[in-house]
Amino acid sequence: MNLVVNGKTHTHVGNGSIEALLDEIGAKKNHTALMVNGAVISSNDWETATLKENDQIEMLVFVGGG
Amino acid sequence: MNEDILKIGEQELSSRLFLGTGKFSSTQAMIEAVKASGTELVTVALRRFNRDQAEDDLYGPLSELKNVRLMPNTSGAMNAKEAINAALLGRELSKSPFVKLEIHPNPHHLLPDAIETYEAAIELVKQDFLVLPYIPADPVLAKRLEDIGCAAVMPLGAAIGTGKGLSTAEMIKIIVRDANIPVVVDAGLRSPSEAACAMEMGCNAVLVNSAIAAAENPSAMGAAFKTGVDAGRMAYTAGLMPTSEVAVASSPLTSFLSSNG
Repeated sequence: MNLVVNGKTHTHVGNGSIEALLDEIGAKKNHTALMVNGAVISSNDWETATLKENDQIEMLVFVGGG
Repeated sequence: MNEDILKIGEQELSSRLFLGTGKFSSTQAMIEAVKASGTELVTVALRRFNRDQAEDDLYGPLSELKNVRLMPNTSGAMNAKEAINAALLGRELSKSPFVKLEIHPNPHHLLPDAIETYEAAIELVKQDFLVLPYIPADPVLAKRLEDIGCAAVMPLGAAIGTGKGLSTAEMIKIIVRDANIPVVVDAGLRSPSEAACAMEMGCNAVLVNSAIAAAENPSAMGAAFKTGVDAGRMAYTAGLMPTSEVAVASSPLTSFLSSNG
């Protein structure tokens, strides 16, 4: 399944769950916040969310900032 | 025991120094400065995950700090919609009600977009955030943001990262005089004496990043800002003497040498 993750095309080979995608990308679950197609998906809803072809995903982490 | 508690919404803080976590030479230097400053509230930014820059991820180091709450910022947002999304994303990670609402689309001066900030604040208040907007030192805007339920206002002392101090002091004084919510000077401060000055003016806290992160010794500067903030706050609560247009002697001017009295 082709996705766009942080602006780059990504071929997902897992089961389409958010957790599978995070594992595939190498992002830590509790360090990462997520948007799919412009909507914030709470980690409480990750288990039930299913990704689909061409979804646009933003994966964000905390970095230093003022 | 510190009885001088700062309340922001229902959150209570005994330190009036808020720290930004950007621009430090290393995560370790940032952590040491946070500890030395005594801060209980630090700001963080959100960026896209990059596996090649995993060391930039501050979630782990920050979650190990005791007595420090996180205030995600909305840096990078160009408009209200992006800022609202950034706030929601930040809350997912911080598990904290605080959000530093900042919308400054022009990279040349990084000055806040008051209109987008106001619109975003309305929505974020509805979504139960403690909204601390970074704003121009505009007393009218500050009051409008108070009226819609912001938890505090954060007028700039000078443009972000310039170290030009309290260039907006006269406007900040008006904001402080009229405010019923905490006023936090955010941006522009370079020295602990400027932080002390802001506190003497009646500001409730200051937010400092560059002045500490870009110091030769960030940890020592964190401690120096703590002392400056504490001194300024103590002076404010002690009540500064009134000023006078004419000299008022401190020593008796009579009954001495040439005087017969």
